[in-house]
Amino acid sequence: MANNENQKPALVDWVKEHGTDLAAYGGLLFCIIFFTITTSMAGSSIWSQAKIRTLMSDVIVTALMSVGAVFIYSLGNMDISIGKQIGLYSTIMVLLGNATGSLILPVILCLVIAVIIGAVNGASGEVLHMYSVISSVVFMMILSGVSTIIYSTIGTRNIVLHTVDTSMLKSPVIMVAALALETAIITYFFNFTKYGKYAKAIGANKTAAEQSGINVVKYKVIPYIFLACTLVVASLFQMGYTGAASDSTGTGFEMNVMVALILGGMPLNGGMNSKVSCAVIGAFTFALFDVGLPIIGVPTKMTFMVKACIFLVVVLITCRKKNGVLPR
Amino acid sequence: MPKELIFEAKGMRKEFGPTVALKDVDFSLYRGEIRGLIGENGSGKSTIMSIASGMQPATKGTMVFKGADWNPHNMVEAQLHGISMILQEANTIPGVTVAQNIFAGHEDEFSRFGVINMKKMYQAADEVLARFGMDWIHGRDLIDRYTFEDRKLVELVRCVTEDTEILVVDETTTALSLEGRAILYKLIHKMTEEENKAVVFVSHDMDEILEQCTALTVLRDGEIKGNLDRAAMEAPDAVKNIRYMMVGRDIGEKYYREDYDASHLEEVALELKNITFGNIKNFSLKLHKGEILGLGGLSGCGMHDIGHAAYGLEKLDSGRVIRKGTEIRNPLDAIENGIGYISKNRDSEALILEGSIQDNIVLPSIPDLEKTTFIRPLDEKKMASAEIKRFRIKCRNGSQYVNTLSGGNKQKVSFAKWTAKGSDVIIMDCPTRGVDIGVKQAMYGLIEEMKKEGKAILMISEELSELIGMCDKLIIMKDFKVTKEFTRAADLKQTDIIEYMI
Repeated sequence: MANNENQKPALVDWVKEHGTDLAAYGGLLFCIIFFTITTSMAGSSIWSQAKIRTLMSDVIVTALMSVGAVFIYSLGNMDISIGKQIGLYSTIMVLLGNATGSLILPVILCLVIAVIIGAVNGASGEVLHMYSVISSVVFMMILSGVSTIIYSTIGTRNIVLHTVDTSMLKSPVIMVAALALETAIITYFFNFTKYGKYAKAIGANKTAAEQSGINVVKYKVIPYIFLACTLVVASLFQMGYTGAASDSTGTGFEMNVMVALILGGMPLNGGMNSKVSCAVIGAFTFALFDVGLPIIGVPTKMTFMVKACIFLVVVLITCRKKNGVLPR
Repeated sequence: MPKELIFEAKGMRKEFGPTVALKDVDFSLYRGEIRGLIGENGSGKSTIMSIASGMQPATKGTMVFKGADWNPHNMVEAQLHGISMILQEANTIPGVTVAQNIFAGHEDEFSRFGVINMKKMYQAADEVLARFGMDWIHGRDLIDRYTFEDRKLVELVRCVTEDTEILVVDETTTALSLEGRAILYKLIHKMTEEENKAVVFVSHDMDEILEQCTALTVLRDGEIKGNLDRAAMEAPDAVKNIRYMMVGRDIGEKYYREDYDASHLEEVALELKNITFGNIKNFSLKLHKGEILGLGGLSGCGMHDIGHAAYGLEKLDSGRVIRKGTEIRNPLDAIENGIGYISKNRDSEALILEGSIQDNIVLPSIPDLEKTTFIRPLDEKKMASAEIKRFRIKCRNGSQYVNTLSGGNKQKVSFAKWTAKGSDVIIMDCPTRGVDIGVKQAMYGLIEEMKKEGKAILMISEELSELIGMCDKLIIMKDFKVTKEFTRAADLKQTDIIEYMI
């Protein structure tokens, strides 16, 4: 029997295997070209310094969260409490930052809380035999309540950080550097260590993973810990950019993460085809729409509709179930 | 009376990138015929009928079904028009009842004003199950409570209707119990002899093919190497000829072990001490280093459960599984103590189908490849390539997805996981299921080598010839109890064993 190990895959085969990647990269490239041309026709440029600053501020938080979320999406899970966590961590940073004059203590506290929430979210699925997303919904409600208590206690819906200078966090260079560093770290753990390999294996076939000696509870918790750390970093940039926090900070961020990952080609049921690049590509594509659509004259109130239509098309192309049930 | 052609493929070609699975094949099927398709893994035998039944399109070629051009777009369309295919692996819908599985897509027949009359559906399911002779399966039961073998039978019921003109049985019998096989054989003979329909029987089991089929087509490397009628199949040297056509060389007479030396080392490699769980009560066995211990019986006799327990997959009510003084409580304990397990349920338990061959082979060995936290891609590639070479896995390279491999090549991957890991004790549950004779021969050779190296093997199998041919000691089970033990001997025959199984 011949072993055709040395044969190179044909172009068609390669395209089939990398179809989702091509669509994701192609989508981003298309958006870059499209908005470069259309914004210049509209007498502006998406690549002006001001727009790049807006683009980066738009990208950074979504990208930082999405890069960490790749780990849990690879398990076939999702976390609905992301937005509320960002809200809580931003609030803690402002409150404790003002009290201590430094962000070190609030960041450490946020990390501790994030790791606890992550561990519970990760373990609940296996230990309590329920979908992990359910416990994240519970956390979303709890954190909503905590936020309401905090803001009603201090008697305002908006708090400003005035003792710490956060101008550094507004620099596009710092944002790019932070994103690059986080992406590099997560890519290392996701692609070159057992943590990522086991997460993908669990997402692809939990039984086979278990029978191959993977401790499912442990390696379901660890991805949530990675997400927890990235959420704290994302909160730092979220709070740093505005220098404030409010009771609505983070609202809907979990949906931004989901949209970004899907636009980037992440399989929603997780598994071996999950990639960190999905997060970065998706977040940039998503932000380009945010920044580009108003410049080319799409009214702000319509941008959500346009984005929803694009999202629907992407989902129909990538996530639709193709086969029907065999009849009797 | 001339035979009536029901299906014909002309110049059928199927390419997967650079790999040509079928090379311009002409294939004819007549009414009243049970046509066997035999060939090595990856020879293209399943590909022909998977194209005919709409699972995948051909790259080139034409098909004619019942006198009209045939080009199904999917399996649903093919089944509605009369070509049904039962696949090798489980294809039932978990979490719902047997009846819901049987009538999936046909709920309208039982609904009024949008509400499904479940009682009516259960009744209809029971009737159809009784008609097929499967009265121990009940429509209202959850499908998950039935064994793999019974679920396969439910698939058969779902698949075969009055409108089925061609039934394709793709390596299904390896997943059936003896009772299930009898039902299937009865059905296919009824379809062909009484209803003048046609059956295509894809199998590796030469005895089964020769016994059940009325005609045979042999494939090798995507080409048809011969068509045999019943007379040619009954010729004295038929088996030798067919094997030669399949493999392209004389594979010789050596197949199983040739020695009758049942000795092994004294050291116990794995011990099951009075284990009790489920229907198994107080079961014990000792597997020694350098021993091949066989567990045989009918599929539901409990032997597969013993394999599960030995690997730490069962929660024991009492008793212990011990390896070198360490108690095995879960698969992680088992692997850390040098135990490997080849599951019978290959696609659902042993493999990550959407993963690459490399991903699958290295998965249990990841802790060994890890240096601080880093796993070198080159090390992974080296490990996978060595196993691909050892098992002659027919693939482009290690990055090819497992779900693109033929059944036998998938089985080789699930075997390779544990040889790569270097496990000292391997629990093999139906290790050669769906594997062709050439590879079976190589696997048996490998198992014999392992024995010589002092490795311990627990071989669970429904193939008595395999157990007799390979094992030092054979434990036969019936109704979850040990009924007899045999020691390796030249005069040990299947007939000596069967009475203790049934």
